[in-house]
Amino acid sequence: MRADTTERITDKFLRGRGRQRLSDDELALLDRTVDRVRELPARHTLVRTGDRVKTSTLLLEGFMCRYIDDHAGYRQLVAIHVPGDFVDLHAFPMERLDHDVATLSPARIASWTHDALEGIVETRPHLTRMLWFSTLLDASIHREWIFRMGRLDAEGRIAHFICELKTRLDMVGLVDDDRFLLPLKQADVAEACGLTGVHVNRVLRSLRERDLMTFRTGQVTIMDWKQLSALGQFDPGYLRGGL
Amino acid sequence: MARLEPETVAGKVIADSGVVLLDGPGGVAVAMTADAARETGRRLIEAADLAEHQPPEPA
Repeated sequence: MRADTTERITDKFLRGRGRQRLSDDELALLDRTVDRVRELPARHTLVRTGDRVKTSTLLLEGFMCRYIDDHAGYRQLVAIHVPGDFVDLHAFPMERLDHDVATLSPARIASWTHDALEGIVETRPHLTRMLWFSTLLDASIHREWIFRMGRLDAEGRIAHFICELKTRLDMVGLVDDDRFLLPLKQADVAEACGLTGVHVNRVLRSLRERDLMTFRTGQVTIMDWKQLSALGQFDPGYLRGGL
Repeated sequence: MARLEPETVAGKVIADSGVVLLDGPGGVAVAMTADAARETGRRLIEAADLAEHQPPEPA
């Protein structure tokens, strides 16, 4: 019997992306093996490049990112995480990360020791496969981010970025009638899309003036999904929704 | 699948908030100071003049 209660720590894990393939027993095991749940302030670095990592983290509430700074200190966000995402499950086999992991907003996280994950790997092949699947989703998103940066102009990049976040947040029930909270600064959008702040500001103004979307005080409203997704050449297939 | 070829359509250029924004073609999205934009423009024109007189790369 499946008991998808809201009390579960793993309530949003793989929601909309194959969660139904997890048995109640598997979800209960994940919940039972959590090492600790804690709250972090905004702009808090959880893992630094090269650190030896002995836990992996599931984001329960808030927004987190992975980033790499260049030699001059300019930051490139290489991933944004929304509730339900493991932010560093790849640290389990890799042990050290090649990027930093930080909160963008206040966040609530749960962490598993790698010893606990080792126990799952050794005894629960299907759950292991689903955890592997979640890291492969990250890889899929990374490929799309390469496409975004390599082939799209400024408008396309931002349109694609917003469409992706809307789709991912929708999967975990955080979109309300084409509106969603996005507690990011324009500088964060710039760092995710490889643009300057001025460029982001200009594009957002243009998208607003054309009644495609608005991004104000941490809230996005999409008025014309069809045009916005066309502008960003956004095809949600890579997010594996509904699997 | 199309192979990437040199762009035949010029990028969009605008001035906003004291900087020059170049959008496209393709994945180009750059913001430059006025001085950097002016110098880039000069270099582009110079290279375009040279390119016009060069034989195309054999297919």
